[in-house]
Amino acid sequence: MGGLSYEPMASVPARRELEKKSEKDWVDRMKAFQKVKPFLYLAPALIPIALFIYYPLVKSLQISFLSWNMVSPNRKFVGMDNYSYLLQNREFWNSVWNTGVYTVLLLLLLLVSPFFVAYAVTRISGRVQAFYKSAIFVPTVLSLAVSSIVFLWLFNPISGSVNHLIALVGIPPVNWLSDPTWALISMVIITSWKTFGYHFILLLSGILSVPQDIVEAAKIDGVSSSMGLIRRIYVPLSSGTLLFVFVMTVVFGIQWSFVPIQMLTNGGPDQATSHLVFTVYQYAFQFFKSGLASAAAVLTFLVFSGLIVFQALVMERRVHYEN
Amino acid sequence: MKSFFHYSAIGVSIAALLVSGCSSDSSSTGEASGVTTIEFWHVNSNDWGGNEVKKIVDNFNAENKSIQVVSKYIPNQYQGVIQQAQAAIAGGNPPDVSMMGYNYVSYVNGSLPYTPIEEVAKLDEKEPNFIKDNFLPNVVDLSRADDGKLVGLSFGLSNPVLYYNADMLKQVGWNPDKPPATWEEIKELSKKVKDQTGNYGLYIQEPPDNWATFALAKSNGGNWLEKNGKELKVTVDSPEVVEVYQMIGDMVKEKLAFHGKQEEGQQAFGNGKIAMYYTTIGRMGGIKQQSKFDLRTSKSPTFGSKPRSIPAGGNTLVVFSKDKKKQKAAWEFIKHLQSPESLAIWVQGTGYLPPREGVEKDPKGADLKKFLDENPLMKPAIEQKDAVVQWANFPGDNGLQAEQALIDARDQILNGTSTAQDAMSKAAAKIRELLK
Repeated sequence: MGGLSYEPMASVPARRELEKKSEKDWVDRMKAFQKVKPFLYLAPALIPIALFIYYPLVKSLQISFLSWNMVSPNRKFVGMDNYSYLLQNREFWNSVWNTGVYTVLLLLLLLVSPFFVAYAVTRISGRVQAFYKSAIFVPTVLSLAVSSIVFLWLFNPISGSVNHLIALVGIPPVNWLSDPTWALISMVIITSWKTFGYHFILLLSGILSVPQDIVEAAKIDGVSSSMGLIRRIYVPLSSGTLLFVFVMTVVFGIQWSFVPIQMLTNGGPDQATSHLVFTVYQYAFQFFKSGLASAAAVLTFLVFSGLIVFQALVMERRVHYEN
Repeated sequence: MKSFFHYSAIGVSIAALLVSGCSSDSSSTGEASGVTTIEFWHVNSNDWGGNEVKKIVDNFNAENKSIQVVSKYIPNQYQGVIQQAQAAIAGGNPPDVSMMGYNYVSYVNGSLPYTPIEEVAKLDEKEPNFIKDNFLPNVVDLSRADDGKLVGLSFGLSNPVLYYNADMLKQVGWNPDKPPATWEEIKELSKKVKDQTGNYGLYIQEPPDNWATFALAKSNGGNWLEKNGKELKVTVDSPEVVEVYQMIGDMVKEKLAFHGKQEEGQQAFGNGKIAMYYTTIGRMGGIKQQSKFDLRTSKSPTFGSKPRSIPAGGNTLVVFSKDKKKQKAAWEFIKHLQSPESLAIWVQGTGYLPPREGVEKDPKGADLKKFLDENPLMKPAIEQKDAVVQWANFPGDNGLQAEQALIDARDQILNGTSTAQDAMSKAAAKIRELLK
């Protein structure tokens, strides 16, 4: 047999033992794989979220304790200084207050009024209805930056069409973008003009999904006025959609209104149009105070998390879902 | 089992993609072939000299085989550049040469790792005194930081002028060949305009900065800051400054002057609703296009016989390369940008003034002479170049926030919510706190 060497064949029971062992191994590995499998499926979604949302979130928490501009080699740990600076700062509270004002006005123009408009559109029929649907939706296709520039022309206090029109009914001219009381309202108008159509379509679908037999039944039971139908039937039965639009308006409204602010007023006049999201931007990219900006961002995050929790705990329970 | 390997292979390749994406090699290419590639950042969009910048860079690349310049347009003007530069430096990949607004010079000096221009100029064996030989000292000083360090080489240069609607002046009986030379005369003319036509007399630009108001304050003998030995004194609440703000506030209140956004003011001036418009010569192109009347310019008005003193706007060329070879290449390119041929293209494309002396007399800058002769609107700006000073920078990490405090004070005064004295005292207190 020369140099050929081979292992003696194992006895039959030993071989069985070996097979059993490898089978057990295989089962073990399979079990481990089963545990990992869901995460593998989730990975394509989890990795980007972790990388682009949770990592920056943690990072900004970390930066909020520093006095740093993201570049300078001397980063200084300042503890809670950034937070205490903000909480004692008049401008910060001003922007918190403005955030509240923005939210209330945006809710009026992006939740309440599109709901009524949508209801009104369901009252008419045929081609007129189709016309209204598309006409109201049209501004949505523009970008907010473009809408802002359009309104810069319309709102011109001397040669703009808006002042020209209100002069026809005898209203004195308004300095839309430079008057501290009107500037914020102008920002809300621009933001709402662009977003109105989208919310209108959402609410319209909510109203249309209310079953007609219930409406008929209510009519037979004596609810005949439009207001009565809205209050007793349409609002409760489309509350799922209403809640969705509410959350969209609160959470995204502030972010959308950032665009006209940044393009037209830069937070002015005298910080009258500044809100939390713009303050964060101003600290970070105009003043280059990343620590302060991060602290403001963390506080903003806390405020909005509070709102979401409130929404989940309180409002969600009272909402009607069809299924 | 097969599927396990299948998925892990996908996982590994995703991970590999992510890793390779993060560590993409940023060092220059083509070093082996002896070509030095440098990156140049500019702020010029296509409707504001972008094509001209491209032409200048292309000319350079055609003439130089050993140095190649890659130019990169950065949107959002000088604020955009400094934002992007911060990010690029944090990522370890700064530009080699970049335009930087004069108002950010002290910030660059204090917070960004740049290479002072004189260090770079020293590497030049042929023309070691290039800066001294070709530039007015007050123009060079525009690029100096608050601690006296020369950060870059002044390039884009503008100053404020008074644009006026000569037709409207004629209409109210004011000789359009003798436009107002002082602020007192401006008030007088504005009254005439308001009384006779119902239009506004004046609009002073109101972007989110204090450049124009600084020109007025400085010409009235005031300043934002005063050096007192080593200490900096905040003087935004001095009588000279308060007086200027009160004057503007009063003019707005009496409807002699218009208060609004810059775009609004410019539109209204172009539509013939405002007689005079105080803004930078850099906007000449746009204003000319928008105005359908006899448009003219005159030098920045003074306060009585007090000397004119006006801030420069524009940009300086700052070098960020650390590598000697790249610094040399960067300097060669800067000299090309400042050559009469390039400046002739640059001035025509942007409306900035030539930063160098004698360009229009140089035979190589013949195009420029022709351009300036055809554009009398630029003449006043060139004539007042010797009165140009640096726009005051508030120093330190809080400097830009201090600038905002002054913008807010201006808004309060123009909206009539506060008197100039009150608003400026409050702003001064806030700035002092910030600069501590």
